[in-house]
Amino acid sequence: MSPELEVILAAHQTLLRERLHSCLSTLHPLLRADVVFALQQPGKLLYSVEQAQATSSSYPPAGSWALLTFLSALCVQPTLSLEAVSSVAVALECFICALDLLDDVEDEEQTALLQVLGVPRTVNVATVLLACSQQLLLAVEHAGIEPARVLTLQGLFQTALLQATGGQHRDLLAEQRSVTELTLEECIEIATEKAGSLMALACLAGAVLAQADEQSQSLFAELGTLLGIAHQLDNDSHDLYAILQESAMYGPSGILKREGQEGSFAPSGKTDLRRGKKTLPVVLAARELKEPVPALERSALQQGIVATWGISLLYRERAGECLRKIDALHPIPPLLRSLLRLS
Amino acid sequence: MEEQQILDFVRRVSVDESLRREVVETPEHVIAREGFSPRVASVIARLIPHLNVEQPTERAVLTWWT
Repeated sequence: MSPELEVILAAHQTLLRERLHSCLSTLHPLLRADVVFALQQPGKLLYSVEQAQATSSSYPPAGSWALLTFLSALCVQPTLSLEAVSSVAVALECFICALDLLDDVEDEEQTALLQVLGVPRTVNVATVLLACSQQLLLAVEHAGIEPARVLTLQGLFQTALLQATGGQHRDLLAEQRSVTELTLEECIEIATEKAGSLMALACLAGAVLAQADEQSQSLFAELGTLLGIAHQLDNDSHDLYAILQESAMYGPSGILKREGQEGSFAPSGKTDLRRGKKTLPVVLAARELKEPVPALERSALQQGIVATWGISLLYRERAGECLRKIDALHPIPPLLRSLLRLS
Repeated sequence: MEEQQILDFVRRVSVDESLRREVVETPEHVIAREGFSPRVASVIARLIPHLNVEQPTERAVLTWWT
């Protein structure tokens, strides 16, 4: 990112952080401390402000979800009220942070935050963040946005919530199914619901706030959906790759056993893989073997990883085409282009 | 379906040694011959460096997701 863009990025992040702190200021100090802690986790808007400033070139930047909404809105209507757009952007940040916390609890992740707060406080923080998100959306009306548009925005958030939780539920249920039952199409559907719906919301909320026409709104939603799917598949392939790399460290046969321990075990990789999440690379690997398998060959897994990464690249290609269509209607600001990393 | 084209190509490269060699030596020729759409061709071009990993012989018993 060029130094000029970094300055603009830092200014936007400061504005968004001020809006967030203003919203959180009404919370009891003990509760606020936990909520702030959640929003200080890597990638979130309050992530280590000093460290983020020192390494401003790190990607994605702190608060990238809020920035996506913020920049989408300003792309459509550059003169939009900053009070309104920052409120919607921060509402989105709180909303995503809440869902991330709930996902971590449901997936029994051992994140740094869960280790400090424990499950009950983490769930309560998630509930608070959902309430803050609603409050921030309601506050948009005070910034001169008519009630009908506020209602539309709230509707978008609720729809995305239902889609994302629907996808999460299907994902949880898939843990109990045989890996050979799942198909490419079903994995893509789940990724669309879980991840596509949320990134679509991030892009669409900005466009709706900025009163984009129907065609533009549809393109922003499509852009978010494609990017969300691409991101999910990229994560799935890289998580499995990391586990394979780690497994190679345990004995020449690659069998996942530590010396002195009985039986196979899951390495310290992502918990969702240990739990039996049927991510696309695993499903593709199982399909290659064409029979129910108690164990998957490393070569089939490697093939599944490469194929999944290829499909994630395909979705990024499609997102790039979508972005070019938006660009023809609303010139894409350089910072948004840089955030999306699309040509 | 473009997704299926990518899956099929990755699978063929993994089982066909001559195609694997060809992909290393003349990737542009292979991509042109396969008649991929520009979108899929762009993806395959990025995948090719990752398709040539020597197939390991050992089995990794990764049982926790089955």
